[in-house]
Amino acid sequence: MIEVEGLTKFYGNLPGIQDVTFKVNEGEILGFLGPNGAGKSTTMRILTGYMPPTSGTVRVAGFDVTKDPLEVQKRLGYLPENNPLYLEMTVLAYLNFVASVKGMRSGDKSAAMERVVAGCGLKNVASRIIGHLSKGYRQRVGLAQALINDPPVLIMDEPTSGLDPAQIIEIRDLIRELKGNHTIILSTHILPEVNVICDRVVVIHQGRVAAEGSLDALATDAQEFVVIRVSALGDAEALSSVLSTVGGVRAVNLKDAGSGSEVHLEVQVEKGDDVRADLAGAVSAAGGRLTELYQERITLEDTFVKIIGGEQRRGEEAAHV
Amino acid sequence: MYNIWLICRRELSSFFFSPIAYVILAAWTLLLGVFYSGSFLNYAVISMQIMRNPQAAARLNLTPTSAILGPVFSSTTIILLFMIPLLTMRLFSEEKKQGTMELILTYPLRDIEVLLGKYLSAVLMYIIMLALTFIYPAILAAFVSVDWGVVGASYLGMFLMGCAFMAVGIFASSLTSNQIVAAMVAFMVLLASFVLDFLSVSSGPFVSELLRHLSLGLHLRSFIQGVIDTRDVIFLVNVNILCLFLAMRSLEYYKWRG
Repeated sequence: MIEVEGLTKFYGNLPGIQDVTFKVNEGEILGFLGPNGAGKSTTMRILTGYMPPTSGTVRVAGFDVTKDPLEVQKRLGYLPENNPLYLEMTVLAYLNFVASVKGMRSGDKSAAMERVVAGCGLKNVASRIIGHLSKGYRQRVGLAQALINDPPVLIMDEPTSGLDPAQIIEIRDLIRELKGNHTIILSTHILPEVNVICDRVVVIHQGRVAAEGSLDALATDAQEFVVIRVSALGDAEALSSVLSTVGGVRAVNLKDAGSGSEVHLEVQVEKGDDVRADLAGAVSAAGGRLTELYQERITLEDTFVKIIGGEQRRGEEAAHV
Repeated sequence: MYNIWLICRRELSSFFFSPIAYVILAAWTLLLGVFYSGSFLNYAVISMQIMRNPQAAARLNLTPTSAILGPVFSSTTIILLFMIPLLTMRLFSEEKKQGTMELILTYPLRDIEVLLGKYLSAVLMYIIMLALTFIYPAILAAFVSVDWGVVGASYLGMFLMGCAFMAVGIFASSLTSNQIVAAMVAFMVLLASFVLDFLSVSSGPFVSELLRHLSLGLHLRSFIQGVIDTRDVIFLVNVNILCLFLAMRSLEYYKWRG
């Protein structure tokens, strides 16, 4: 549905983004991650036809955004960062304006307005002036204007930023309801959000795509090895020497002696092997009694920091060469 | 075409949602009202004096239209000089500051439709202003016979002149996200084009002629005398086209820069 190829944008001599390439399939929700200033908004602005790229191509539903901007924009709903709105208009007047500008005529227009007002929970505020609404309601108005012509493609730049937790959940639920019927790109800083909503993520860092794939795959890729924590009653020396002989184990570290005779060990295991059962067996073989054994899950934050840190190191190495 | 109208309608409603439209319309009618009653009284005094001297009266050839409405119509240029920058300053600057520019430019609209819609809204606003002034010739017509040809030519001149001012204002607004800067730039450009007239006095014949042609204010003069000179019409229309063209370029540059 969306194909981005070799997208580059220079601000004067400063590169905003460089050689960004990715694809979004129909009905998919793509999460766009990256630190501030990484180039997320730049990419989204080019995708919407707001800003021309320095080089590279974007195709949305088969139309080139630089050659046929109007065709792309007809099929697109966009919620920019900070959700700009005409504050002096009422919700209905504003939605009516957006619907007309997006090419809808009276019959479809009133039906569409009813649909988004109900869908985005705006019934109670429909005739109020946007400037008088709370941030959460304004965000819904922003979403409503993006959805009004039921566009196949939705682009949302930090749709939940600045909202309180209850509002975040509401907006998130709204977005999740759109899943399947719409192809969505959304950028965010909130990593659990990505986990909940998105099928796939693209991590962008310093203007380049740093990683792409499902979150689970990214998490495994970011790790060098898997860590399994083992706690058992028994002799620390004996346990660690036996555990280190299990196939796939790289190293065994004694974490602390623990209270009484309980021993806590950190076992580093090669990726791809599930050796938990073997480890449990080895503990018994060494004469210990297993109290706890679990594989440490890498957090999303860790994944993110690792990807970005790795990119940075790679960048620095390249700079040295 | 329909898109231009949509943008225009939204802009017009913005004018009237905010106090700007009311403040400007009130100030406009008040100031012109002062000019009108002033020249009405003047005319009364002058005609009293002239009655004692019929020879002088024949030489002066004062008609109510030229003596009463002429000064009022000429004064519009000075009032517009101050008012139009205030009217046009928000058209692009506010959208840039609020960020709504990003939305409007990602709707399926051509840039030129956005620009012309905004220009049209300013022009319609000005037509409302001009329509309000129609009360002055109407009052006059209740007492004396008015030369409607001269009045018509004057309105055409004021309309073209005001539109040119609007175009300058829109160009200024497209340059910046700061409304005060936009108003100042428009005001300075318009003022400079008036001052050219003063400069022409002390320059050589060719330069003097050139400066007088470029001076915006002078182009209204013959309209008010009832003469529709094609040179004036073409000049004022060209100012409109040039400024809108520059505003279009400025929009493109704004998008390119991001």
